[in-house]
Amino acid sequence: MREEVREFIFKNFLFDDSGDSLDDNDSFLEKGIIDSTGMLELVAFLEEKFGVRIEDEELVPENLDSVARLVDFITRKKVPS
Amino acid sequence: MLVDKLLTHSAERRPTGIALVQGEARVSYGELCDKAIRMASALGELGIRRGERVAIALENSIEYLIAHFGVLMSGGVSVPIYHNTPAASFAKIAADCAPSAVIARPKFRGDIIKFGEEPAQARYIIAGPVADTEKESGCVSFEECLRSSGVPNTGVRSTDDLATIIYTSGTTGDPKGVMLSHRNLSANTRSIVKYLELTASDSVMVVLPFYYSYGNSVLLSHVMQGATLVADNRFMYPNKVLEAIAAERVTGFAGVPSTFAILCHRSSFKNMSFPALRYMTQAGGAMPHEMAFELLKVVPHAKIYIMYGQTEASARLSYLPPQDIYRKSGSVGTAIPGVTLEVLDENGHSVKPGETGEIVASGDNIMTGYWGKPAETEAVLRSGKLHTGDMATVDEDGYIYIMSRKTEMIKSGAHRIAPREIEEVLLKSSSVFEAAVVGRPDAILGEAICAFVVLKDGATATAQELLRLCHDNLPPYKMPKEIFFIKFLPKTENMKVKKADLKKILQTSDEVEK
Repeated sequence: MREEVREFIFKNFLFDDSGDSLDDNDSFLEKGIIDSTGMLELVAFLEEKFGVRIEDEELVPENLDSVARLVDFITRKKVPS
Repeated sequence: MLVDKLLTHSAERRPTGIALVQGEARVSYGELCDKAIRMASALGELGIRRGERVAIALENSIEYLIAHFGVLMSGGVSVPIYHNTPAASFAKIAADCAPSAVIARPKFRGDIIKFGEEPAQARYIIAGPVADTEKESGCVSFEECLRSSGVPNTGVRSTDDLATIIYTSGTTGDPKGVMLSHRNLSANTRSIVKYLELTASDSVMVVLPFYYSYGNSVLLSHVMQGATLVADNRFMYPNKVLEAIAAERVTGFAGVPSTFAILCHRSSFKNMSFPALRYMTQAGGAMPHEMAFELLKVVPHAKIYIMYGQTEASARLSYLPPQDIYRKSGSVGTAIPGVTLEVLDENGHSVKPGETGEIVASGDNIMTGYWGKPAETEAVLRSGKLHTGDMATVDEDGYIYIMSRKTEMIKSGAHRIAPREIEEVLLKSSSVFEAAVVGRPDAILGEAICAFVVLKDGATATAQELLRLCHDNLPPYKMPKEIFFIKFLPKTENMKVKKADLKKILQTSDEVEK
């Protein structure tokens, strides 16, 4: 999952093949790499790719603001409660 | 009136009133004014003289306000630009207006140096850590500037002096600098304050960047009244901004159509209440009127102002009075105070109700021209009137309805973008033979940028490679969302690309290879 998320971000926002320019814990907000419409694209990708429904109230930095947080969030969503 | 007087007058009237809130940080009008004067003094000590340009590449922040008003107080011309502008894009702006100084974060300067795009002889004022080696190469720290205690010596200034140059996408491929004088900006600010009925007790949530004409008008109109700006740069997480609106008991909110689309469709807006919210303003392109009605369901007590303007008009040209939002839905209203709007046919006569013509504007808010571009200026400014290129119709009551654009300009995320600018970047690739860029209707952005590319015989290039090229040369809002490879571009007998045909192809995009 981590690799797929990273690939999407590199392909759509960073346009960089090296993979060095983003650490898993880097904040998207602080790095300024994704804007508000980019975040909608990222959320749509996560929903489609991993078969989860992300609610409006879940669109917060605690869930989405780094590769590590994203992976953790989606992993938790996929576990049936 | 000089634009910086908006700040000094508010500081005299309300020295302890809060000018800007950002997270936990707050700055009063008295403190902001004092720091801006110090910045002006420091700029004078650095040799910046009346009429010289100072580029400001900062995100919405206290530093931005200090820099902007400091430049104006020094007699200089502020040139606000996107704080993450790629080096190649900045180089075009720097080559055009030759800034004497650049006020930026350390990363911005680092990127410019890395790409070898430093403007000649510009001094750097760095808002952030400055290494000793950088000081040796002429960098000055922002903090150090604020320790300057001199008095700005600007000589006699005039309201006809240039105050700000705001860059917009140019039809020739290079960005055009819209020259706005102190008179232009203060006249427009006065009108906006009047129709929005702004007072010192207002506070506005600012998610729009100050470097953008609409963001600049929100900034100036609230500073004029000594009102409070609440800046929040986290709109990618709209719920955080909504929480701040509620917590700060914000009375106003300014957005573009994509802002409101996100609020209505991908945030907790509908489940929250905002009793303090008095007004919401929308500009930057056509918003479906149903969306205004959706907003009113959540904040029925708020006034919704649908507005229209252009950077060339300092920002604002017309507004729809809130009480007319249902009666005149789809209209951008009538001219704001101090502005005259005409809708003229090809012969320069006013159109009859129902007929379509071009919106032509006059008033003290109309720009003085494009920096260093007399031909482009003459193309839109004739007899002191701005020919907007926006085609519209009027009804019997004089309300204006925008129908289309005369030019090929794409309107994406509220930015007017010239396809040529993107096409020229794509043509930098040694594999690209021809490129044509068009807009595709998009629910959030208004239009999404799509590029059609014809490769040279035997050449290869992937969409990813071309997107990378665009990323290195264009700010994010000018990035194509999709690149299509096509064998040839449809053309007229005069070899002009038939962009309408390309738009049709987008509707059946199986015909092209992504």
